[in-house]
Amino acid sequence: MKGKLAWRWGLICVVTVFAVYFMLPLDKRIHLGLDLKGGIHLVLQVNTQDAVRAEVDDAMERVRGDLTEKGFAPTALQRVPDGNGFQFKPTVNTTGKVLDKVIDDRLAEFKVSRGVEITAILKPEVVRSIKDMAVRQGLETIRNRVDQFGVSEPVIQRQGLEGDRIVVQLPGVDDPARVKDLIRSTAFLEIKPVVRVAPTEEALLATSSGQVPEDSEVVSGDIEDLEGRVSGKEYYLLKKASVISGRDLRNARRSQDSYGQPAVSFTLNPEGANKFGSYTSAHIGDRMAIVLDSKVRSAPVIRGHISDSGIIEGNFTVQGSEDLALVLRAGALPASITYLEERTVGPSLGRDSVNRGLTAGLVGLVLVAVFMLVYYKGAGINANVALVLNAILLLGAIGALNATLTLPGIAGVILTIGMAVDSNVLVFERIREELELGKTVRNAVALGFSRAFATIIDTHVTTIVSALFLFQFGTGPIKGFAVTLTVGLAISMFTAVFVSRTIFETELSRRAQTKTLSI
Amino acid sequence: MRFFHNTKIRFMEYRWHWIIASTVLNLVAIGLIFIGPGFKYGVDFAGGTQLTLKFRTDPDLGRVRTALEALNLGDVSIQRFDEAALHQILVHMQNPKGQEGDFTARMLQALQKEFGGGTGQLEINLQGSDALRDGLAQADPDKVGGSFDERRAHYKPMSDEIMGLRKRVGIIGGADDLRSLAPLSPAVKSYLSASAHFGEFALLAAENVGPVVGKDLREKAIYAVSFSLLGMLVYIWVRFKLQYGIGAIVANFHDTLITLGALIITKRPINLPTIAALLTLVGYSTNDTVVIFDRIRERLRLERGKPLITVMDEAINATLSRTIITSGLTWAVVMALFIFGGDVINTFAFVLVIGIVVGTYSSIYIASPIALGMSNWLDKRRVARRRR
Repeated sequence: MKGKLAWRWGLICVVTVFAVYFMLPLDKRIHLGLDLKGGIHLVLQVNTQDAVRAEVDDAMERVRGDLTEKGFAPTALQRVPDGNGFQFKPTVNTTGKVLDKVIDDRLAEFKVSRGVEITAILKPEVVRSIKDMAVRQGLETIRNRVDQFGVSEPVIQRQGLEGDRIVVQLPGVDDPARVKDLIRSTAFLEIKPVVRVAPTEEALLATSSGQVPEDSEVVSGDIEDLEGRVSGKEYYLLKKASVISGRDLRNARRSQDSYGQPAVSFTLNPEGANKFGSYTSAHIGDRMAIVLDSKVRSAPVIRGHISDSGIIEGNFTVQGSEDLALVLRAGALPASITYLEERTVGPSLGRDSVNRGLTAGLVGLVLVAVFMLVYYKGAGINANVALVLNAILLLGAIGALNATLTLPGIAGVILTIGMAVDSNVLVFERIREELELGKTVRNAVALGFSRAFATIIDTHVTTIVSALFLFQFGTGPIKGFAVTLTVGLAISMFTAVFVSRTIFETELSRRAQTKTLSI
Repeated sequence: MRFFHNTKIRFMEYRWHWIIASTVLNLVAIGLIFIGPGFKYGVDFAGGTQLTLKFRTDPDLGRVRTALEALNLGDVSIQRFDEAALHQILVHMQNPKGQEGDFTARMLQALQKEFGGGTGQLEINLQGSDALRDGLAQADPDKVGGSFDERRAHYKPMSDEIMGLRKRVGIIGGADDLRSLAPLSPAVKSYLSASAHFGEFALLAAENVGPVVGKDLREKAIYAVSFSLLGMLVYIWVRFKLQYGIGAIVANFHDTLITLGALIITKRPINLPTIAALLTLVGYSTNDTVVIFDRIRERLRLERGKPLITVMDEAINATLSRTIITSGLTWAVVMALFIFGGDVINTFAFVLVIGIVVGTYSSIYIASPIALGMSNWLDKRRVARRRR
């Protein structure tokens, strides 16, 4: 008997030591969810069709370029309605050899059907892989941006293995609007040759009889006064083909323009520098437009040969210039992004709710503890020890599992504590019943525990079974509830059955004669 | 000390009265759900954007409404949140039909247009500490000079201090509130007082659920709850008998319906935390039911031949003191949460305050009578078959 008790106490001590090890220090080990601590939770969708369209456009332009170069410029070049391919009419005299070569060279990833019109549709497996790449690249880009922004413990994950959704969780962020802009910003930078500039769109297209030439596009830009305030708009006719784009960047950082206003300077990688260098030296005196996210930021005149660096000016705040430099460094998103879900909890709301919830919870627990002492006297101490141990083990388990404690998670904890109290009540009531039937103290304790045992197992397992399903099928908050509930119930079984019984038996074994029991 | 000692209440004798009362209550709840007014879905299930705002002074809800309706996007609903003295409101706006996207920024801009701000000044009550730091570094009221990064380093402790204050109080009333912040130099204080904007409101929380995610959350919540109830049914079926499992599940539906009715009457929204609370209630109610079933099973083994109705009464009486003590204690805990816990967990606590009462009652008067009725019916059929 003595040896068995020693073994039981040993186990309890080991488990407790582990729990304490995993729960301390509390603020490091117990991660509070965003609803309690404040922060931002985003679910975003990568619009993967954008990436597919870019791929199609790219192939389309190459086909146009190749055929035009050979003197057989195609007509009626356009995307098919679902955007997964394009069609064109080769000029009648296009030689089969040229067409074959272009198709072989440029359309390897397309299923090509030839007739009067040639239709090229991306192969389904290629579409799938483009979409998958877009999500993965988007994930990588967002991760880069968030890392550079310096958020501690960010969670950036793809939702599901094949989905196009990304979950971003950033605890403790105090300026959610800025972070959201930062993540969503496509930051697509291009430098394009300027054909002409005009104050209105009509004036811009007046010389080309209102039509936008096929190789050009109209892009607008803000006019700023000397203090950097926007005073109007002007329109640019730009060549579609860009001289360089964001992909050619090596680095970007915040800097100042010649008036001391915030700006972003960038340097180019060798390939970009090569293209930029040869273009600028051939076009001295021309204007080029720095286009960011389809808006002309500035359109400086080329004064001389520029090789590997440049500056983006125009109406930035310091933070704006810094953010732009950051996203340019981190790379452009391969596709646009839509926010499907946002949950922002300001730091003050989170803290307030934790404090008030904790106070109320403690008030409740003290009530329970006092009642147990008054109603069950000596045995009440027993129950309270088991309860405290329950709390310690639960915190330890949460720490060890690296789980996050959310508001619904606390609901799980409350149910757990309720059931732990219930287990003790079940046992004590049973012992009282057995004592009443005239059993000896030792017998009554043994019977009380063994009879209540079946009930405790049944109640706990029923709830654990349902909690497991909740875990399997539930989303965020429901999952959090299921986790603390399952773990808590397992612990509650241990404390109510094993720990509480060990305390009882230790007490009984200390006394030679046990005629009475404080219960 | 002992309460409810050796009671001999004949619970089952009055079962029909209670079953009728419960049926009526359930019908009322079903009427509330399906005829009207119906559930008030929170942002999780209804979708849309919900902002929790704290104002400096008691907000004029009419102005908030006008400002947001001017956006011409979706239906706007506004209600006060938590104690009146905190000047907090919840604003909910539906997303325009079927549209995904982030409407938080547009709603905030509209509110700034109405209540001031958004003109490029430093926004003490909306911007984060980095923005404050950069704003100060650019204006440099302390005249520290040097590079921009050096100035930033100089102003960082100050901006952190201001942000810290906002975290504590929720909203900063004006430059006077900054007076007690020691790390701020007098020059900084007077600069902020002259140039920064202490907005009328601060954003405490924002939630935006688009149609896609809203649908997803609804479906997943239904799956999760259905499967977990099914799992429970199967376990009780295996451990006891099918009729007991059915009794427990019907009791769960009974509890949930009545609580949902109470949620509708008190105009509380149904969202994910409410579902977690309802699940807690289901867990609690089942626990209570299983304790009684367990005792019935034990008695049935010990005293074969006794009529089930007597055994049930004995079992309920034997566990009565446990039932009352456990329910009473848990109820006291959730009552403490309900009264002192604040508005964030108020609905959660409310569900349990109602649910524990209903759940305790249903174990005795719903779960047990159904198990009794079904057992008796099965017995009769068995006897009838044997006779044939």
